[in-house]
Amino acid sequence: MNNENIIEIKNLKKSYDHGKIKALNGIDLNIRKGEFVSIMGPSGSGKSTLLNMIGALDKADEGYIKVAGIDLIKTGDLSEFRSKEIGFVFQLHNLIPNLTVLENVQIPMYEGSYSNKEMDERAKELLKSVGLLEKIDQKPTKLSGGERQRVAIARALVNKPSIILADEPTGSLDSKTGDVILGILRDLHKKENVTLVMVTHESYVAEMAERKIKVRDGKIA
Amino acid sequence: MSYFSLILKNPFRNKTRTSLAIIGIAIGIATIVALGLITGGLKASTETTLKEGGAEITVLQNNSGQFMNGRIDKDRVSEIKEIDGVKDTAGIVRAQVEVPGVDFPFPITGIEVEKLILANVDQVNGTRFSNGSDNEIIIGKTASQTLNKGIGDTVVLFGKDFKITGIFETGSFIQDAGAYMSLDTLQNLTSREGEVSMIYVKINEDANITQVSQSIEDAYPNELTTTTAMAQASRINTGLSAIDTATWAISLLAIIIGGIGVINTMIMSVYERTREIGVLKAVGWKGRRILGMILGEAIVLTLIAGIVGSIMGIIAVEVLLSISPTTSFIEPVFSLDIFIRAFGIAFLVGIIGGLYPAYRASKLAPTEALRYE
Repeated sequence: MNNENIIEIKNLKKSYDHGKIKALNGIDLNIRKGEFVSIMGPSGSGKSTLLNMIGALDKADEGYIKVAGIDLIKTGDLSEFRSKEIGFVFQLHNLIPNLTVLENVQIPMYEGSYSNKEMDERAKELLKSVGLLEKIDQKPTKLSGGERQRVAIARALVNKPSIILADEPTGSLDSKTGDVILGILRDLHKKENVTLVMVTHESYVAEMAERKIKVRDGKIA
Repeated sequence: MSYFSLILKNPFRNKTRTSLAIIGIAIGIATIVALGLITGGLKASTETTLKEGGAEITVLQNNSGQFMNGRIDKDRVSEIKEIDGVKDTAGIVRAQVEVPGVDFPFPITGIEVEKLILANVDQVNGTRFSNGSDNEIIIGKTASQTLNKGIGDTVVLFGKDFKITGIFETGSFIQDAGAYMSLDTLQNLTSREGEVSMIYVKINEDANITQVSQSIEDAYPNELTTTTAMAQASRINTGLSAIDTATWAISLLAIIIGGIGVINTMIMSVYERTREIGVLKAVGWKGRRILGMILGEAIVLTLIAGIVGSIMGIIAVEVLLSISPTTSFIEPVFSLDIFIRAFGIAFLVGIIGGLYPAYRASKLAPTEALRYE
């Protein structure tokens, strides 16, 4: 970890339904490169909205947000930014059911200039690291919940992003499987020195992070 | 896996829906192909009636109604030959007989052997019949297939044995389904001695068809009338162009119906995959890549329908022509043009039907798509 901020957020505001629902109400937050941060908060506190803002899935109404050197409010098309800098892990793995495990992991690579061989090698290397090398030709429907989430982690890492954004990655898993997933995420963070931002509402999960942030009513508490 | 393989793979996620959509479009394509094959066959046949060497004018009895029933004095054949501009004439008798094993009246024409060229019969495999011979006959290529008989075989006509001495091919489906024998023989067999059903007239190269036709009609007012090969061909062509117009109308209908089918199929597909499209956006797919994927899937769907439809069209024509005796002599013409048209339409349906669902998918907001249950 160094002192350079990879995520800089100032007075970030976002509302929905013509201003009736204030999801973010002036967030100020800096996250350093290589840091592992957990974001906690009750349902509707704005923690997932904050994560979506960092991942450029949604645009803020006001304020300032700069991630990996890109101003996310001023930049138009952010698909390249998402492809290169961000790896998402969702609560529901969101794998594509008709594709094999290997093909699912390769999905983010289409926007890069990889050859088929490079795509195969990179995806297999990651599936090996999450312990699923022997299941590369299976469809996600044949996998357990934990295995699916491991595939989703491999998918998130395939483009070597600088930031992993995990939204309740253990939310739909039993505690034992959840621990395995958390272990994998923590190991990856350490080994690859990737910045890890994880939204959770379980305090024992949040405790694993180097820094805990609490969000309440769209603000850092 | 390449992006292209992904596009090929995706339409088969919901096999039932995809198959139904393919069948829907394929029926339209099959209709276009079938009509194209038949009109192509009819056109090729019509063109041969305008072949060089053949008679340009046919003289008929006025008000005889049908070609078959004309009763013209045979002296008119030699008289007409003397008219200005006429090079040669041939009197012919036409009859239809029942032949065992053939379920339609078999057409036979009687003509003097040296005049066969006026009837466009110039290529004969084997030998021609001899004038006055009462047991020799030449049959068309299609007739030989229908009767399942070849050179040297015997066919029973009017209760008499006729030996097939040769097989001809003119390209006209009507002629090739029939037979030719000596004029005298057919006159005897049909009790029409001294008369002919019609007269073929070949004109001089520098003569004008209309003028010669007029001279013939003027020489025998109220008795004879004329028709030209060109007029016949143009009548047939008018009919064919009506079928052509109908084919285009059906094509347009196929595009509209097929297009709506594709829109429906692809919208359903995009709708079901909303969350997945959200994931694709989250992992960095550009809008145009998603647009390309959905549009590509629609085109894959319609091109498969193009293949299925073409096969269905060919089978339909073959089956139709083989079960119906009245059409069995039409030879479908397999021109590249028909299949280019079929696939062009399939492609167009894919683009038209895929564009809107693809656009919608590419414009989905990722957060909303990811929240979609």
